[in-house]
Amino acid sequence: MTDPELIEGILRRDRNAFQYLVNQYQKPVIKTACYFVGSMEDAEDLSQEIFLEIIRSINSFKNNSSLSTWIYRITINKSLNMARKQQRHGIMLRVESLFGHRQGQKEGFSHEPSTCLSDLDEKEKRKLLHEAIGRLPENQRIAFVLCKFDDQSYKQIAEIMKIGLPAVESLIHRARLNLQKYLTPQFSEYKTS
Amino acid sequence: MDCKHFRNNIFAYQEGLLSAEDLRLAENHLLSCKACEKILADVRVVDEMIHVEKTLEPAPFTSTRILQRIDNEFSETRKPPVITLVRILQPVTLALALVCGILIGSYTARKDSPPAKQASNSTEKLEFLRANLFITDFADEDKNPVTNK
Ligand SMILES: [Zn+2]
Repeated sequence: MTDPELIEGILRRDRNAFQYLVNQYQKPVIKTACYFVGSMEDAEDLSQEIFLEIIRSINSFKNNSSLSTWIYRITINKSLNMARKQQRHGIMLRVESLFGHRQGQKEGFSHEPSTCLSDLDEKEKRKLLHEAIGRLPENQRIAFVLCKFDDQSYKQIAEIMKIGLPAVESLIHRARLNLQKYLTPQFSEYKTS
Repeated sequence: MDCKHFRNNIFAYQEGLLSAEDLRLAENHLLSCKACEKILADVRVVDEMIHVEKTLEPAPFTSTRILQRIDNEFSETRKPPVITLVRILQPVTLALALVCGILIGSYTARKDSPPAKQASNSTEKLEFLRANLFITDFADEDKNPVTNK
């Protein structure tokens, strides 16, 4: 099914088109959302909203970008909204814990600088990686996730983010550097020594 | 290549993006510098974490769940008339079949019970009704029907 056929089908509310849309984009949508909302489970739930939004707003799709670029933009916007909500909720929890309403809420990054990454099991490593990605500034996070987890080219990322190629390159480099600093705090010392 | 130069290019080195000449210089530096070798090990651990993370897939049946949600949301607008007709006809046919079953069942039961064969006059008919409908308290006039009305 070509993009115009798919768009036409979605406009007609044709179930075959819906099925094709989901089969084609389910994985990139969920895998992208995952690094903004923090877990695969939340991303799977959010993906339902994302696909509904794609279908509802297909009227507003303009042919000046590819369908995939447009879908990525919706995915990122929806995911960022969800992440901001989670963040606000997190801040509320921390405020509450400050006033003693809640106990045992972990604040900020859970990685102890003394912990050696190689000593952690896969689950702990994944959690840390997600936390570290979650700490990246939004633009760095978008560029990095699209590049590393969705295999998008710099050109595609530039299109999705509506920025130039050098900016993409710089964002990805800074994101990688920051990740390294978060995950191996001794890295900052190395860099300056 | 000195430590500063190597560390500035460490990601490019790890991703194989260095020119042949820079690669040779970097490898020479690594042979003689334990500190940079340690940093490179850290970079590789994080790269490995990214690599493992990348292989993870959404849970199976996620697409089914998404499609179900889409069906729920857009069911009225998308269903062709044939499907709607089938949805109406199905319960109607079932109900008809059920009624037919009950009628045939009760007819067979009556046929098998002895009073049905004998019911020739009105008293016998009443007995038959009593037996079949489980009515025990008829009025007297029903027991002795007045014929001269
Ligand atoms: Zn060195």
